[in-house]
Amino acid sequence: MKLFKTVLTILLLYSQSLFAQTVMRYELYVKDTLVHYGGKGKKAIAVNGKIPMPTLTFTEGDTAEIVVHNQLKKSTSLHWHGVFLPNKEDGVPWLTQMPIKPGATFTYRFPIIQHGTHWYHSHSGLQEQIGMYGSFVIKKRTDDKTFRSGIDDLPTIPIILSEWTNLNPDNIHRMLHSANDWAAIRKNATQSYAEAIKDGHFKTKLTNEWKRMLAMDVSDVYYDKILINGNNSTDLKEVDGRQLKAGDKVRLRISNGGASSYFWLRYAGGKITVVANDGNDVEPVEVDRLIIAVSETYDIVVTIPDDGVAYEFLATTEDRTQSASYFVGNGIKQLISPLPRLKYFEGMKMMNDMMKMNGDLDDMGMKMSLNQMDMNVVMYPEITGEGKPKSNHGEHSMNMDNDPNRYNANALGNIVTLNYAMLKSPYNTSLPKEAPVKDFKFTLTGNMNRYVWSMDNRVLSETDKIPVKKGEVLRITIYNNSMMRHPMHLHGFDFRVINGKGEKSPLKNVLDIMPMETDTIEFLANEEGDWFFHCHILYHMMSGMNRVFAVGEYNNPYLPNKKQAYNALQRESNMPHFMAHNDFATNGNDGEAMFQNARLSLGTEWRLGYSAMHGYEVETHLGRYIGKMQWFMPFVGFDWRYRKMGIDEHETNLFGQKNEKDTRRAFSVGFMYTLPMLVNFQAEVYHDGIVRLSLMREDIPISKRLRAGFMINTDKEFMAELKFLVNKNFGIRTHYDSDMGLGLGLSLNY
Amino acid sequence: MKLVSKTLLLFVALLSSKNTLAQIKNSKTETVKIYGNCSMCKSRIEKAGSLKNTATVIWDKDSKKASLRYDGSKTNRDEILKRIALAGHDNEKFLAPDDVYAQLPECCLYNRELKLTSKSNVAAGVRREHSSQSEMKQNSQATIKSQQLNAVIESYFSVKDALVKSDANASMQKAIVLVKAIRAVEMTKLSAEEHTTWMKVRNELEQNAQRIAGSKDVAKQRTTFALLSENMYDLAKSSKQDKPIYYQHCPMYNNGKGAHWLSKESAVKNPYYGSKMMTCGSTKETLD
Repeated sequence: MKLFKTVLTILLLYSQSLFAQTVMRYELYVKDTLVHYGGKGKKAIAVNGKIPMPTLTFTEGDTAEIVVHNQLKKSTSLHWHGVFLPNKEDGVPWLTQMPIKPGATFTYRFPIIQHGTHWYHSHSGLQEQIGMYGSFVIKKRTDDKTFRSGIDDLPTIPIILSEWTNLNPDNIHRMLHSANDWAAIRKNATQSYAEAIKDGHFKTKLTNEWKRMLAMDVSDVYYDKILINGNNSTDLKEVDGRQLKAGDKVRLRISNGGASSYFWLRYAGGKITVVANDGNDVEPVEVDRLIIAVSETYDIVVTIPDDGVAYEFLATTEDRTQSASYFVGNGIKQLISPLPRLKYFEGMKMMNDMMKMNGDLDDMGMKMSLNQMDMNVVMYPEITGEGKPKSNHGEHSMNMDNDPNRYNANALGNIVTLNYAMLKSPYNTSLPKEAPVKDFKFTLTGNMNRYVWSMDNRVLSETDKIPVKKGEVLRITIYNNSMMRHPMHLHGFDFRVINGKGEKSPLKNVLDIMPMETDTIEFLANEEGDWFFHCHILYHMMSGMNRVFAVGEYNNPYLPNKKQAYNALQRESNMPHFMAHNDFATNGNDGEAMFQNARLSLGTEWRLGYSAMHGYEVETHLGRYIGKMQWFMPFVGFDWRYRKMGIDEHETNLFGQKNEKDTRRAFSVGFMYTLPMLVNFQAEVYHDGIVRLSLMREDIPISKRLRAGFMINTDKEFMAELKFLVNKNFGIRTHYDSDMGLGLGLSLNY
Repeated sequence: MKLVSKTLLLFVALLSSKNTLAQIKNSKTETVKIYGNCSMCKSRIEKAGSLKNTATVIWDKDSKKASLRYDGSKTNRDEILKRIALAGHDNEKFLAPDDVYAQLPECCLYNRELKLTSKSNVAAGVRREHSSQSEMKQNSQATIKSQQLNAVIESYFSVKDALVKSDANASMQKAIVLVKAIRAVEMTKLSAEEHTTWMKVRNELEQNAQRIAGSKDVAKQRTTFALLSENMYDLAKSSKQDKPIYYQHCPMYNNGKGAHWLSKESAVKNPYYGSKMMTCGSTKETLD
C-alpha cells in the first residue's frame, strides 16, 4: 500500500510538471508618437514603438500575463476581443475596471482556454482609431484532437487590417454629429441634385428628400489610407524562413482592426478557402471573395499558382475608395482589378423603395438574414453591370422587380461571395438541453440625420444593465431597422449563429447584420460579470448603440462603486458635441452655434448687421428631440433683437401683431418639425403674445460643392443663400436677407 | 464692410494662384519597358501613369520604353508602374489584371511574355483569359483533328460570356476575335463530319460574327447572337470536344419565341438578359 501511495505521488508530481502552466508574459509600453502615413506628421499611439501593437501569441493552456505601462497623458485600457476570461480582465473602463491612469501600470492575467485568431485593442475613447490594435493569436495544443492536417499545419501569418485618417478622430466624431458632409465631398459621394440630373436620377433624389433622407453611403468616414499590418503594400516572400513557391498554400489569420470600415477581400491567384471565423474552425468553404465586418476575424488559405509571380491579396474598403495589398510569392506582381465605384443613385432608388414615410423599413416580404441577400448589390457594377439598366418593358412580360433572387449576389453572376449561411462548424456546438432559455429581442435603430444610434430607440444612457442568471441560455433575436449594417459584438462569449446548420451551427462573437435582416443567436451565460454587447463601429458605439448583460452577482474588486462606474460608462457614450459656423459677410455676420447630444440640443443663432439700422438679433433655443426619427423637437427659447429703422419697414407680422419697440427681449415656447423635403417648420409663441411661424432649409445639395438655403417667416422676413464649400472649415457664401440686403462673405465652420 | 470685401477678393485670388504653379520639383528620371502595341496604348499608358504635379510619363511605341519623370518626395517608380499596369499594360514590376487586359481593344492585345504560361494543376480555381492567338498556338501542336474548331468554339464562349455581363464593348471585341478564328480554320484539316458541317455554316457564321463585331448595341448583338448560336450548335454537334458543352434555352426571349446558346458550364447564365434575369433558362441537351 505504501509503495502504491509513493508511486501515485510520484506520478502526480510528474504529471503536474507535464501540464505545467506556461506563463506567457508580455510587457506593453503605450506611448504617444508621430506618424507620416499621409505625408504630414500626425499624432498616433504606438506600443513598444510599433503600429499595429505587437502580435501576442499563445498556445491553448498557457496563462497570459500582459503588463500595460501607460506612458500617455490620457487614460487607457486593453480589451481582448473574443477571448474567454474572468470579467475583471476584459478591459472595458467603467465596466470591468477603472481606466488605467496616465503613468500607471496594470497587469492582465488569465488562463487561455481556447484557440484561434483573435485581436486586441484599446477600449478607451477613440484610441483604437490611431494605432491601438494588434493581433492576438492562440495556437492549438499539439495533441489537440481537432487538429486538421493540411489546414492547421500550413505556414501562417497574422494580418491586421486598419485605417488611417489625418484628421483627429474626435473631430471626425464631431463632424458626424453635425452632419458635415466633407467626407462625402472627398469620396465624391455627395449625390447632389446636379449629379442626379446628370445620371438621369432627378426623381430618385427628389423622392429621397421627400422621405426626409440625407444622401447615404455605406460608410461615413473618409480615410486617407488603408493599412495591412501597418503598411499599404507588403511583399510576402517567405514564411517561417521558407521561400514561397508554386503550389504552396499560405494561411492568413486576418483581423479587421478598422474602426468603421468593412473590407472586401480578394486574391489575384484564384479562389480563397475560408477555414475559420472569429477564432472558431469552420468546414472549409471556397469562395471568390468575402467581406469582413469591423472587428471580425477570418482565417483563409490561398494558393500560389506559379513561380516567378507574386499574387496580390487586396483588401478594399466597402465604399471602394481605398485599398491595401499583400503580395504573396516571389517575382513580378500580378495585380487584381480594383473594385469599381458604387452606383450611388441605384442605391438611393433602392432605399427609397425600402423606406416608409414614417422612417420604418419595409422588406417587402423578403425575410432577409445571414447576409444571404445584399441589397447593396444594386450598387455593385461588378455584379449588376455598369450604368442604369434600360427599361425593356416591351421585350418580356416577366418583371425582374419581384424576383426573390434579385439581391442574391451569388445567383446574379459567377462571383461567389461568402455569407453566414455557408459557414458550418466541424463539431457539435449545441448548448446543454437542460439549461433554461431566456429570449430577448433587440431592434437596431438609428438616425443618420442626427447620427444617433441605438437599440430599441434607446441609447445606453437611457437603459439599465440587463440582469441574467448565471447558467441561463440567452437566445437573442436581432432585427435591423436602420439603413446601415452593424457588426454586433458580444464580450466574453461565443454565440451560435442559427443558420440552418442545426447541431453544427457556427460559433462567432461578432454578427454583421444588414438593414432589414433578422438573425438569431444564442449562448450559455456561464461566466459571471458585466458583459458589454455593442455595435463595433467605433463612432456608433460612442453614440450609444450599446447594452450590458449583467450575468450573476459579480463583485468586481476593481470597481468598488459599480453604480457610479456605470454612470460614467453611460456618460461616455452620450457626450455632447459642439458645432458652430459664422459667415463674415459684407452685409453682416450670420451664424449659429450648437451644443447637442443624443436627445438635447442647445443652440444659438445670430444675425448681426453692421449698423443699428440693419439691426442685431440673437435667438437661443433649448430643445428635446422626441420620437424614433427625431423629427419633432419642442423647445423653450429666448430672443433678443435691436433695430432702429431698418430697410424693411414691416413691423407688422402676418397675424397683424405689431412690435413697436426698438429693443425686444422675449421668452418663447415652441416646437420644430422636419417636413418632407427636409424643410424645418418652426412654431413659436412669445411671452408678449407674438406668434412666429417659419419654414427653413439649409444645405440643399445643388452640386458637389454648392449648397443652397432659404428661410421665410410670418414676420415677413425672408432669406435666401448660396454657399460654395472650399474645404471642411470654410466656404464662400452669398445671401439676401430682407433686413440686411444682399451680401457676400466668408463662411467659417467648426 | 469694405475691408471685408477686400479681404475676400484677396483670399479668392490667393486660392486660384495655388494651381498655376504646376512644376515637378525634386525630379527624378528613369526609363522603363512597358508592354503595348499602338498609339491607343500610348495615350492609355501616358494618361494612367501621369499625375498632376507629381509624375509625367512619355512612352515610345516602337522601342516600348517609357521615360518617367517624377517628384521623388511625392511618389516613386512603383506607384507609377502600378497605375499603368492597372490600366492594362504589363511592365517589369507589375502584371495587369487578367480581366482588364482582356478588355483592351484588339489592336492593343500585346503578347504577354512576362506572364508565365505554365498551367499549374494546383490552382483549381485560377481563371485565365487567353487571347485566341495564344490558344491557337497551343493547339497547333495537338494531333487531334477537332482542335481546329476549338478556337472558334472558345471565342464563341467569350462572346457569350460578354453578353452575360451585358458588356456590349467586350462582346464586340470578342466577336472580332471570333471572326479571325473562323477565317483561320483550314478546311482540309477538319474531320469528315466537321468538314461537311463547316461548309454548311461557315458563311453564315462569319456573317453573324461580323454583325456582332460591328455593333455597339447590346440588344442588336443579342438578336444576332441567337442566330450565331444555332450555327455553333451544328458545329459543336459535329465536332468531338474533350469537355461537355451544354445547349441551353431561354423561353422568353424574342417575344416568347425563345433562343438557344451554348455554354461550358451547366449552371444557367442567360446571355440574352444578363443580370436582369440571369437564371432564366434550362439545359436542353448536353453535347460531349
